[in-house]
Amino acid sequence: MIRNSLRRWWDWRLSIFLMGIALGAGWFVRHTQGGPIMQIYQLIASPFEVNALAQEQLLSARTEELQARVQEVEMKNQKLQELLGFVSSQKKKGIVTPIIGRSADRWWNQVTLGRGSKDGILAGFVVMAPGGLVGRVTSVSPNTSRVLLVSDPTSRVGAGVTRSANMGFVKGKSKKNAVVEFFDNSPNIKVGDVVTTSSFSQLFPSGLPVGRIVSVDLNKGPAPEAILEFFAPINSLEWVVVYPHKVLEDKLPNLPKSDKTMNGNDKKDEEKKGETSVPK
Amino acid sequence: MSYRLPRLRFSHQWISILVTVVSALVCILLLPTRIPGMELLGIGPNWLLIWVVIWCVKRDHTLVQGAIAGLVLGMIQDGMTNPEPTHTLSLVLVGVLTVSLRKLKLFPEELMEKDLITISLLVFGMAILSETVMALQFQLYGDHDINDIWLYHQQVALTSGIISSLWTSAIAFPLTRLG
Repeated sequence: MIRNSLRRWWDWRLSIFLMGIALGAGWFVRHTQGGPIMQIYQLIASPFEVNALAQEQLLSARTEELQARVQEVEMKNQKLQELLGFVSSQKKKGIVTPIIGRSADRWWNQVTLGRGSKDGILAGFVVMAPGGLVGRVTSVSPNTSRVLLVSDPTSRVGAGVTRSANMGFVKGKSKKNAVVEFFDNSPNIKVGDVVTTSSFSQLFPSGLPVGRIVSVDLNKGPAPEAILEFFAPINSLEWVVVYPHKVLEDKLPNLPKSDKTMNGNDKKDEEKKGETSVPK
Repeated sequence: MSYRLPRLRFSHQWISILVTVVSALVCILLLPTRIPGMELLGIGPNWLLIWVVIWCVKRDHTLVQGAIAGLVLGMIQDGMTNPEPTHTLSLVLVGVLTVSLRKLKLFPEELMEKDLITISLLVFGMAILSETVMALQFQLYGDHDINDIWLYHQQVALTSGIISSLWTSAIAFPLTRLG
């Protein structure tokens, strides 16, 4: 008799208790940006991890020769900048990380890396791959980090065409392409131009290659647009290199020759409006 | 006159809770993977949606229970991607609809509970619905190009529907026979 009544007392109270626990667990995961889940995932995925360091060393000898030449040119560039009085930034050492997972839904272009805060990765770090820019770290857990790819429609990268120094920003469009919106109404751009991150970009250091222009539309309103194809093969990446980058809160953009654009707005305001910060 | 052993029934309840939690965890951990053969055009199955549909058809749950299942898994998916726009709306809608479909007895109950093809078809329809809700949310979010959203939605809704319904049986077979 007592057992029956005890069971009946527990029946619906237990289900409410379990629902409460489930809701609490769901809220906890949402609040911590999936930290515990990604830790468990990394534990399970670690035997299948690609040996990122070994893969990087397998780069061909030709690539190493080109890298050595680029390093020499960069050093000369740095010395010249020092002569002109610019503050030179040190060449940062990157953390080679394997990609252990892709996005957990079908709308956000993200990847999950197999290294986290224990290896020194923090939110805001820049992610590069052989080829060019891949994205930016948005959240970290002790052993994993989440990267927002440049191909995501919410990603905005302040960039410019290397050849003609026309500035704009790169908005992700699909997995391989992005849209570049320029500030000038008649920019000097053509198909085949290389686009790199510009010095007014607050979220990325300048000079990182992003992609190549494949089509130009100068008549598009409100600003001329171009379609860009990423250098880095984002869909087939298996490892990336994460570079430290501190997002400076009050970094001033390089002031252009005139302070106003053709629309009559301040160029600084227009450039600052272009970039959005990391989604919470 | 049947004499039920209260202790046996109690442990059966705990086993079903364990099966629920473990299967949900497996579905959550499968989300970031893209195992070759388990993806179509780079899009993997919507494991959480599959889990919600299977859980809602298995037993006679109330509408509130279906909604809470969708809410919990939606929050977990939010934590793994981005809280805005939220995934809870689409999964809650799926949970509530599946429970009401079962209650309205549009299909015979045994068919809904055990037949893998019915469950797969249900997942197909719910996947398309869930992607449409997400596309609407992205449109209201304000940042994206509307044409791009709906162009992408066509591809994603169909692909996700196909691959999710194909892989439903992998989760449905053990769960309908076990839990």
